[in-house]
Amino acid sequence: MAYDTTVLVIGGGSTGCGIARDLAMRGVEVTLLERGNLTHGTTGRMHGLLHSGGRYAVSDQASARECIDENIILRDIAGHCVEMTGGLFVQRPEDPDDYFQQKLSGCKECDIPARVLSGGEAREIEPHLAKDVKRAIEVPDGAVDPFRLCVANAIDAERHGARIETHAEVIDLLRDGDDIYGVTVRHDSGPGKRTHKTPGSTEDITAEYVVNASGAWAGQIGDMADLEVAVRPSKGVMTIMNVRQVDTVINRCRPKGDADIIVPHETTAILGTTDEEVSDPDDYPEAQWEVDMMIDTLSELVPILQDARTIRSFWGVRPLYEPPGTGTEDPTDITRDFFLLDHAERDGVTGMTSIVGGKLTTYRLMAEQIADHVCAQLGHQASCATADEPLPGSENLEALETAMDDFGLRSPVARRSKQRLGSRSQEVLDTNEPNPVICNCESVTRAEIRDAIEQSGSDLNAVRIRTRASMGNCQGGFCTHLIANELVDEYDEPTARAAYDELLQERWKGQRHALWGEQLSQAMLSYALHATTFNADGDTARSGQAIDFAAFDSGQSDSSGGTTGRATTDGGTQRTDQGGDR
Amino acid sequence: MSDAAHTPDDGVSSDDEFDPIQVFPESTEMDLRPGADDCYKCSTCDTNCPVAEVDDDFPGPKFQGPEQWRLKRTEDHDIDDSILKCSNCMRCDNACPSEVPLSQMHNTARGAYVDEQMNKLSREYWRNRLLSNYRIMAHLGSKVPRLTNFVMGLGVTRAFNEKVLGITSEREFPDFATETFREWWHNRGGAAASRDRAQAARTSRGIDGDEPKRIAYFHGCYSNYNTPEVGKALVRVYEHFGYEVLVPKQRCSGTPMYANGMLQDAKRAADTNVPELAAAIDEGADIIASCTSCSMSLRQEYPELFDIEDVERVSNNTWEGLEFLRVHEDLESELQGTTADVPELAYHAPCHARNQGLDGQAIEVLSVIDGVDVEDVGDSCSGISGTYGWKEENYDTSMKIGEDMFQHMEGASGETGMTECPTCSMQMEHGTGYEIRHPLEILEVALLEGPEAA
Ligand SMILES: Cc1cc2nc3c(=O)[nH]c(=O)nc-3n(C[C@H](O)[C@H](O)[C@H](O)COP(=O)(O)OP(=O)(O)OC[C@H]3O[C@@H](n4cnc5c(N)ncnc54)[C@H](O)[C@@H]3O)c2cc1C
Ligand code: SF4
Ligand code: SF4
Repeated sequence: MAYDTTVLVIGGGSTGCGIARDLAMRGVEVTLLERGNLTHGTTGRMHGLLHSGGRYAVSDQASARECIDENIILRDIAGHCVEMTGGLFVQRPEDPDDYFQQKLSGCKECDIPARVLSGGEAREIEPHLAKDVKRAIEVPDGAVDPFRLCVANAIDAERHGARIETHAEVIDLLRDGDDIYGVTVRHDSGPGKRTHKTPGSTEDITAEYVVNASGAWAGQIGDMADLEVAVRPSKGVMTIMNVRQVDTVINRCRPKGDADIIVPHETTAILGTTDEEVSDPDDYPEAQWEVDMMIDTLSELVPILQDARTIRSFWGVRPLYEPPGTGTEDPTDITRDFFLLDHAERDGVTGMTSIVGGKLTTYRLMAEQIADHVCAQLGHQASCATADEPLPGSENLEALETAMDDFGLRSPVARRSKQRLGSRSQEVLDTNEPNPVICNCESVTRAEIRDAIEQSGSDLNAVRIRTRASMGNCQGGFCTHLIANELVDEYDEPTARAAYDELLQERWKGQRHALWGEQLSQAMLSYALHATTFNADGDTARSGQAIDFAAFDSGQSDSSGGTTGRATTDGGTQRTDQGGDR
Repeated sequence: MSDAAHTPDDGVSSDDEFDPIQVFPESTEMDLRPGADDCYKCSTCDTNCPVAEVDDDFPGPKFQGPEQWRLKRTEDHDIDDSILKCSNCMRCDNACPSEVPLSQMHNTARGAYVDEQMNKLSREYWRNRLLSNYRIMAHLGSKVPRLTNFVMGLGVTRAFNEKVLGITSEREFPDFATETFREWWHNRGGAAASRDRAQAARTSRGIDGDEPKRIAYFHGCYSNYNTPEVGKALVRVYEHFGYEVLVPKQRCSGTPMYANGMLQDAKRAADTNVPELAAAIDEGADIIASCTSCSMSLRQEYPELFDIEDVERVSNNTWEGLEFLRVHEDLESELQGTTADVPELAYHAPCHARNQGLDGQAIEVLSVIDGVDVEDVGDSCSGISGTYGWKEENYDTSMKIGEDMFQHMEGASGETGMTECPTCSMQMEHGTGYEIRHPLEILEVALLEGPEAA
């Protein structure tokens, strides 16, 4: 039988993108399907910690070892997605001493470089730590941008011939007896780059082999072919602070607990997290108290967090998995390791393997193992090169550091742009056209926005994850329309408007749990700006509904006789005769 | 710095030497990122910035302050060079509805820029250092005031200044007084004489003799070296109300140094000023300045920028000359019925007065005096902002900003200007040719020279 593609990967998170790149680099023909944007699932809703392994050094040393190995590899191959901030495990006076010792010896056992600092030394590194912190262990934690990482993997996969389809949801698996031979996919707006308003379509894609890398959704995919994949999705909350209160990853050094880590991320700091099992990865409660609890608890470590501004909060679901029969009660105790489930071995159904569990830090290793497995199934001889070949954007970063080119931009703008674009800076920023800053909060210029549009079509959320535009403190209030405006050369006005609406809505969503203090002022200003200039307030001018003129009264009648009031626009009366008490 | 060489209290200080070798050993590390939390990007600061209004290349306070700080990571040290275009007028501070510490952000960023990015051998650096250490120049100049005034006025000197130093030749250097304020004060008998006069005034006003009424005058550089008449007016007016005046040892308030990013120079000066002023406070005095930028600096910038013992106490006890009297004396009744024979005045409120909420007081107080006719020339910025308008590259911008004020001055009926700020007064004079007075001088005429006082 002639297949449409050799390997079909379901899921455009870090795992799926990593697999697509790995296979494509080995010369295997791959198609990747993702129902949303790249990173639409858990990868776009995680904490951003490039683990040193320190967090698992006591409870799960196998994971810890994998983490430190991959940490070192990613610094190298994904330099422009990683910021080596360093990390601290900070002990407060009430935290147990024996755990501190276990953590320290655990790190040593797993070959994680670790050094003990006094409270004073720790505060020298991070001045906003509480005055009474006792001591700390320094480890090589880092920060990783999951968006850039996935996109770079996808770009490189495409360069090696892969087909990457976003907004393409797998709605069925094609199964013939005991063989899975492809999927049915629903394209939200037609195949290829997304263009809003293009009519949707469905397509059957046959494949020699299918890889289910849909993370927390792996069970749902399994169901389509009556295969049981028992992922136990577990949710966690994260809150984004407006500025970086810390420049180092700060972990609380105590056995386990919620709200024990702060990760500096780009211009912000992200607080996290919690761990609570949910039944449906698409539908679970998001409660304000989770955010409040987290800010309160982490303020014990970094007191200024208590009154600091948060710009949004979000929840993610971990694709936790444990082999049938393990029966762990508390999700925090479920292993963070990953599992490769070959359905031929497990269920006697050929043609598909699922990969579940794991973490972003080890995405490359997961991809390598599954690619090895797939190649063995296909009888394809090729070895993995992903540990050595830098991702696009991460080649020759040292050369970039020494090159002084500012591309005519103000220095902080040039610096931030280069941190995001890495070795692609020259290619993207070196333009003869005027290159104004479009997103001021994050310093994103027009050239970078246009580069992203070229990659992802009219999808502005895809532009956002590539550039960080609209991810700063105004949450798109001052730039959504400017970004949408960049679409108009290539797309028509209704398309640009639909894209504008979609981005604006996405930005509102995350702010719902941050609406107090300064972010409330910000939201009110943003709302007023967009309501009054783009009719984004449900105005009938856009909704197309007829205006109910009958709802307006005819104003004050001459015969009313009284002079106590006049009608206001909402039909009430305005009292004008008793000043002073309003 | 050789503090031992200073004579105490009200003597004429022997002054410290200018130490050009020192190139900032320690840098002032400060994390102002949390201040960006208060910014909700309304751009009010940008629309109030006089430099942004006339210079399209200046990105404005919102970028310069909260945005630039928010983008910073600890290891990032590059600050955009446009920070040198900010004139430090501090209007943005005042305009912001959300308490973003804009001028603190500008000052700190400018300090870091000068420390880490500016070529210490460049002409610009040395010119800025020279301008911001005006007191040193002034001190030397005032030793031989007539000669200095003559030399500074020469075309060749001005050409030299522009070509070699980058100081605009368009402006004339202010004349140095032949007798500095401190010399006058010393010759007049210093604090002891002031005590006697204050005592006499208290007796004649029927005030309980034991009640301590004491102020310490922070004269700053300009009224010491260039306009001692302002300092004299302050002393006489306060003595008239029964206040004993102290004149502590002091150095520059730091304003021109912040504006040039010379935070180490400013810190050194503050290290002298704060303990001296704190000692005066211990003796029951409040600190009074006649220059609104000096009072602003002691009040706001000192605690924002320097961690010195007593800095908060000094900040909390500092007043502007007229402000203090309005609060502590019944100035209105005192002035009721006084007359002053002065020309019609066109008043410009300095930006720094505005920041302290003092922009309305001069007109309100002086209007009570018979024969005084003052007109406010509006709320535009004069454009000179201390040393800013002296720099060759800023001269045109400075004059463009000042255009509004010049026009309003021309439009006002008076042909004499009035303001509290020495550099605003230079700009007012430069733009219109008017003679410029200080409100305290008018007060002095009314209280001490008018028929009532006589
Ligand atoms: C709160 C939290 C914090 C975390 N913090 C960290 C951390 O700091 N460091 C770290 O290393 N790891 C962290 N992790 C773990 C890490 O985020 C995940 O392990 C990793 O992102 C999983 O990637 P994935 O590609 O396997 O899954 P996903 O990113 O979820 O990818 C699966 C994709 O499949 C798509 N999909 C689902 N159904 C379909 C369908 N029918 N058709 C097509 N596509 C479909 C989804 O849209 C999704 O994009 C965290 C996880 C959580 C929940
Ligand atoms: S201090 Fe004045 S010149 Fe500087 S940014 Fe603020 S308003 Fe503009
Ligand atoms: S005025 Fe204040 S809140 Fe508004 S943009 Fe400027 S700094 Fe931000």
